[in-house]
Amino acid sequence: MGRFTPHSMVPQPSHDEAAMQDFVKSLRAHLASKVMPGAYAAYHARVEPAFRAQHGRAPKDQHEVRKVMEADPYYQFWSAMQRRSQEMMWDTVIDSTERQLPGLVDRARKLGRKPKGSLRMNPKLPIPRYHTAADIHLQPGGYHGEFTEDDVAAGAIYDVGVHLYLNGALGPENNAMGLLLTGYFRERFAGRTPSAILDMGCAIGNSTLEWARAFPKAKVHGIDVGAPVLRYAHARAEALRTAAHFSQQNAECTDFADGSFDLVVSHIVLHETSRSALTNILRESRRILKPGGVMLHLEIPRGSAPLEKFMYNWETYNNNETFAGFMTDIDLAGEARKAGFAEGKVTLDTYAPRMTSEQKNYSDEFAWKILVAEK
Amino acid sequence: MAKARKKKTGARPVAALPVRLPRVAKGRKPQYFADPAVDKLLSITLTLAGELAVTRDRLDAVERLLGQRRILTPEDVDSFEPSAAVAKQRDARRAAYLDRILRVVQTELEEMTGADMPKSNDDVIAAVSE
Repeated sequence: MGRFTPHSMVPQPSHDEAAMQDFVKSLRAHLASKVMPGAYAAYHARVEPAFRAQHGRAPKDQHEVRKVMEADPYYQFWSAMQRRSQEMMWDTVIDSTERQLPGLVDRARKLGRKPKGSLRMNPKLPIPRYHTAADIHLQPGGYHGEFTEDDVAAGAIYDVGVHLYLNGALGPENNAMGLLLTGYFRERFAGRTPSAILDMGCAIGNSTLEWARAFPKAKVHGIDVGAPVLRYAHARAEALRTAAHFSQQNAECTDFADGSFDLVVSHIVLHETSRSALTNILRESRRILKPGGVMLHLEIPRGSAPLEKFMYNWETYNNNETFAGFMTDIDLAGEARKAGFAEGKVTLDTYAPRMTSEQKNYSDEFAWKILVAEK
Repeated sequence: MAKARKKKTGARPVAALPVRLPRVAKGRKPQYFADPAVDKLLSITLTLAGELAVTRDRLDAVERLLGQRRILTPEDVDSFEPSAAVAKQRDARRAAYLDRILRVVQTELEEMTGADMPKSNDDVIAAVSE
C-alpha cells in the first residue's frame, strides 16, 4: 500500500512515530490476513461441530454463534489482539498530533483567512447521546471532544487513523468512498448536474471534497456535530484548494430550508447514530431535497450468513460501533419508505471494491451498501 | 569538539506539552480471557512488540546513515526518510517479525486444520509406543 499523501494539515510524524504507525499497519495486516481467517477455521473445525453435537443443528443466527465463539480460545486471542491494535493505532496518531497541536491550530486559522469555502460554527448545538455515551471506534475524545481553543485535534487524529484502520483501502487522500459514490451517481443518474449538494456527517470532509471536484459548479455543503473535525475539514479543504461550505449541525434537524438540495449524501455515517436518529436523518434528507432530488447513503458491510454477521459485529461489541449491531438486520429501504420516499423510488444497492486480504478485517466478503432514493 | 558533543548526548529535556489529549476511549472494555491478568499481559506484549519494532527501525536508520559515513546527530535520524525501496525492505522485515512473534497463534490454527495433525498427544505417544 502507498503512503498517506500529506497535505499541510496532516500532522507530520517523527521518525519513531512513523515507525510505530508502520508497526500498527503491519500488525493489522497480519491480523486481517493471517489470524482472522483462523476464526472461521476454528468455527468450522470445532465450534460448529460441538454445537451440532449438543443441539443436533447448526447455530441458527449470529447471536447463537456469538455465545459459542466468544468461548473459543482462538477467537478470543484474535479478538483481544484486534482490540489492542485499534487502541495502539489511536495512541500513536495522538502522539504526533499532541506534539504538533499548537502549530496545527495556527495553520488552520491561517488557512481560514482567505477561504474558497466557509465554516459556520454553533457552540450551542447539543452533542447527541450516541456520540457522548462512548467514544465511537475507540477514538479517545470522539469526534466532538475539545481540549484547546479552536481545537482541530480530533480531525487530525481521524485523518491519519482512518488511513491506518483500513490499511490504505480508502486511498491516498482517504477519498475512496467519495470517488465511489460520485462515480455511482454519475452512472446511475447520467446527465444530471446537481447545483446544491449536502454531505451529512461529513467529519473531516474527506468525501465532501470529491463531490466538489466532481461537480465544480455546485455549492457543496458538509455538516457534522463535531466542532474539531469541522474546523479541520475546513482547513483541510482550503489546504487542498477546494471550495466546500462546512457548518456545525445535526443531520437529524438542520437549518436548511425545504427543498434546498439536488443531492443529499452520507458516507458510513448512519451506523454511528441511533434508532431514532436514523429515522430522523432519512426524514430530514427528504425534507431538504428538491422534488426529483436524490438521496445516497453509503453504509458498511454487515455480512450475509450468521458467522459473517457475527464477525462484522466484532466492531459492535469491541470497538464502540454500538449502533452497527442494530443495522445488521435492518431493512434500510423500508426505513427510507417509512421516512416518506415513495415505493419504487427506493433501492438498496451493493458495491464490492477490490481489496487485499490485508484490508479485510472481519470477512473475505466485503461489499458497501448504497441506499438510494428519489424524492 | 568531542566535549561539546558529549554534552549534547546527555538526556534531552522533555518539553512540557501545551495540550494533553485523552488517551483512553470512553466506554467499557470487554474482558477477553477468564483471567483479566491475561488481557493486560497481551496488551503489554503487543505494545512491547511495537516499541521493539520502532527501535529496530531507528537502528536501521542509524545504520544506513553511518553507512553513508556521515557524522551522526539525533536530528539526522529524526529527519531520515526511507526511500521507497528501503520502505519495502522494512515492510518485509516487519511482516517476518510479526510471523515470528505471533507464531503461537498460527500454531494453534495449524493444529486445527493441518493435514495429518495428531488429534491429541495420546496419538503421538501411541505412535512412538508402537
